[in-house]
Amino acid sequence: MALEGTLQDMSLSDLFQVFRMGPKTGVLILVSTAERGVIYVADGKVVDAVLAGGPDRRVQATQEEAVIQMLLWDNASFVFRHDPSVMSRPPRITHDSEWLVMEGVRRRDDPARAMPYHSITLDTMLQLSSLPSSAESGVSLDVNQWRILSQISRNTDVRTICEATGLPPDQTIRTVAELLAIGLIEVVIPSALPPRPKTPPKSHHDHVVSVTPAAHLTPELAAAAVVGVGAGDERPQVGRGLLDAIMRRIRGL
Amino acid sequence: MQALKIVITGSYAAGKTQLIRTISDIDTISTDYEVTLDEERQLKRETTVALDFGTIAINDQVTLYLFGTPGQERFDFMWEHLTVGCLGYVVMVDSTRPGHFAETQRLMSRFIEITDAPFIVAANKQDDEAALPVSYVRRRLGVPLEIPVLPCVATDRPSVKGVLLGLLKHIATQNQMNQEQSA
Ligand SMILES: Nc1nc2c(ncn2[C@@H]2O[C@H](COP(=O)(O)OP(=O)(O)O)[C@@H](O)[C@H]2O)c(=O)[nH]1
Ligand SMILES: [Mg+2]
Repeated sequence: MALEGTLQDMSLSDLFQVFRMGPKTGVLILVSTAERGVIYVADGKVVDAVLAGGPDRRVQATQEEAVIQMLLWDNASFVFRHDPSVMSRPPRITHDSEWLVMEGVRRRDDPARAMPYHSITLDTMLQLSSLPSSAESGVSLDVNQWRILSQISRNTDVRTICEATGLPPDQTIRTVAELLAIGLIEVVIPSALPPRPKTPPKSHHDHVVSVTPAAHLTPELAAAAVVGVGAGDERPQVGRGLLDAIMRRIRGL
Repeated sequence: MQALKIVITGSYAAGKTQLIRTISDIDTISTDYEVTLDEERQLKRETTVALDFGTIAINDQVTLYLFGTPGQERFDFMWEHLTVGCLGYVVMVDSTRPGHFAETQRLMSRFIEITDAPFIVAANKQDDEAALPVSYVRRRLGVPLEIPVLPCVATDRPSVKGVLLGLLKHIATQNQMNQEQSA
């Protein structure tokens, strides 16, 4: 049991945010083509790290520097496992993870690549972060970061920010990526579902496919699966009384 | 005898089979379902996909059916059949596999196109201490606030009950809103 993925699925700065929220305790292992890093997390805080690489797996960096190096990676696979023994590990990192992320962001050529699952264009919609962050973080923002942050209210697009601040688009996008990595703002994901007009379910696929229930399905079940239980095409309007009966039954299970 | 249907969907290994198994009246649930696509028939091939189902007897007159959808997108034509007449559906997502979020998003968008039925999201495998919190899952999937995202442990009966009750409450709320709109 573990949290697993790649930095393309979830960035290191997102992982740090999630560790703080938990707060989580455990060991994060990152493996890139040439290097291997270990980050120790106790009660949501990054307490130690080591980075090894090369043919003889020599230690290349430790503590803060190791974390910052890993923050510069574009991809690596990761595994995070809960491990309460990290709580008794002497902390060797004094800066908080927000400070580390900020340092990583400063050293990156292209901060937008730090979160590959958010592409930032002039049309990207932003909002202030909805996730709780620690109250006293060691982050201090520069002037441009402040200017951009101050423009963001609910669902502001990057174009509007460019116009309001007078900053060139590439500079704005870069700074937005920094603020995203630090976790102060977030992208409003476009898949967000607008209230849909009510249209009856389509059945135009009927002529393309034939679905044959296997012999061991009971006829009722097969019919239920394919054409839908209840009446015809429309969703059955189930009254409050019946819903309550179902809820009572499920509570009693 | 009235049959009501709830659909459980989600990407590969999200926990659909497990959830249905945990709550269902009947023991073994996963069954094979023969699917013949016209194109595939031309190629003289047949495919079989696993279809999960479970039942919960509500009373003498009413049975609740739970149907799990085959996850792969190539079977998405089955989703349409499965969602016709369903009360609502649960989108399950593995909270320990951020690599599956993109596919879950695609699946959600597809379901919203297919059906108006209300749905909730179940952030599964919350028993894993390393699991991503529900709020992070919500943010990454872009689920709007009016749609519940509930923590889920598909192996745990009380948790599965909580998810189904959450869906039913959401359905009741949606029904009420629709009634108020049409009134
Ligand atoms: N720890 C844990 N494992 C789970 C949970 N739900 C499912 N699993 C495991 O995850 C794997 C995939 O689950 P399954 O129900 O087959 O997924 P499906 O592909 O969506 O039907 C199986 O090994 C399950 O035992 C859960 O809530 N917690
Ligand atoms: Mg399954």
